[in-house]
Amino acid sequence: MTYHYNNVYINSKYSLLASTKYSPIIKDNVDKCMDDYYMGEKTIELAESKYQETTIKGLLNKNKLLSNEIDVLISGDLQNQILSSTLASSKFKIPTLGIYSACASFIEGLIIGSTLIDKNENQKAIISTSSHNLVSEKQFRFPIEYGAVRKRVNTCTATGSISTLLSNQKSNIKVESSTIGFVTQTNHKDANDMGSAMAPSCAEVLFKHLNETNRKPDYYDLILTGDLGEYGTKIMKLYFKKKSNYDLKNVIDSGSIFYKEENVYAGASGPACLPLTLFDYILKQNKYKKILLIATGSMHSVVSTNLKVPIPSISHAVSLEVS
Amino acid sequence: MNNKEYDELIKKTILEEDVSKSMLVAFISGGVMGLLGQLLTEVFMQILNCTLSDAYLFTFMTFILIGSILTGLGVFDKILSICKCGLIVPSTGFANTMTSSAMDAKSEGFIKGIGATIFKLTGSIILYGVVFGIIFGFIRSIVL
Repeated sequence: MTYHYNNVYINSKYSLLASTKYSPIIKDNVDKCMDDYYMGEKTIELAESKYQETTIKGLLNKNKLLSNEIDVLISGDLQNQILSSTLASSKFKIPTLGIYSACASFIEGLIIGSTLIDKNENQKAIISTSSHNLVSEKQFRFPIEYGAVRKRVNTCTATGSISTLLSNQKSNIKVESSTIGFVTQTNHKDANDMGSAMAPSCAEVLFKHLNETNRKPDYYDLILTGDLGEYGTKIMKLYFKKKSNYDLKNVIDSGSIFYKEENVYAGASGPACLPLTLFDYILKQNKYKKILLIATGSMHSVVSTNLKVPIPSISHAVSLEVS
Repeated sequence: MNNKEYDELIKKTILEEDVSKSMLVAFISGGVMGLLGQLLTEVFMQILNCTLSDAYLFTFMTFILIGSILTGLGVFDKILSICKCGLIVPSTGFANTMTSSAMDAKSEGFIKGIGATIFKLTGSIILYGVVFGIIFGFIRSIVL
């Protein structure tokens, strides 16, 4: 269903890019940029939690806030049982909600946060997410040093983290409405090709959002999708055209544009991919006023792949008004 | 859109990758590996005076050692992206699989980490290697 908000604004963000491989498009704009998979920690899993801890701390410092002034922290990531989010939030005494929708986690957090603080005055929420290339490789694909031959449709998980501050205080980015999507499942079983698994859920939630708000696709200056990749975006457009007879022209996929360098992959993925592209590339251009964000999540696991279950996927949409 | 239509849509959009170039590269790199193996066997037989079966064994072990060291240094996957399957099918691929699994699990300790996961991917090669070894051994003893 679609919720409308009158009183929710995104005030600030703190972003961290932890790997400059394939030169990401946001490299020069992030708050902190480095090329370090470990960040002083012993293992990559702990490093990811350190990324998130750094962005939350950075956000608090940037806005001169203390952790007890924050009402809720909503965070999610790709690790098993969202380990890095839990470890990162253990460093702050902020009431915490841990969420998981794979790569749609950030937008899910944005929806929950906006719904929680909309009816109040002077409340603050932090939405945080992170992803780590090596952790995802190890958990979802093959061992890191294993020489698997890559397919064209493979995506390369972005390494970084971002935290955003959501509050009732007015700013130039207003959260206007949000639509919660449903889980879709087709016959698609190939976990290498997540774009094809996620495209239907993306098109469905877009259709649902436009239907419930009585809008046309060109109402938005930009529809920014999560990490469909080069092929997933094409499939999503075709799927949407078949469903509603509309040609989508204003779609940009953050996964597809994330890496500047030509590489063997179809694009970037990971929950940090969409928010990093949005805050450090799209919004820096000051070009778009009405933006619809659709984050897509492929909800497979190693077990579901081994059981040969068709990949379930979920997408959520949030509409922003930038002034 | 039903599942069948959607499968067709995927097939139409994502065209099959052309594997002929990779196959040619794998054919050449695999052939070079075979040549190297044969040379090594000759070295073991002529210079170190090994028997034929010992020489084969030592060649196999040398390949595994080289594969493991290259994996440990983090260069094996880069070489493999150039040489393709020519390096996976010989025992260097086996060594890469085992070493990379062990490296991943290092942080989880020796027993529950390395010990439990080193054969995560290669376990099936070993198990079915033995099973089919027995079956074909029986067939051979009956037929011949």
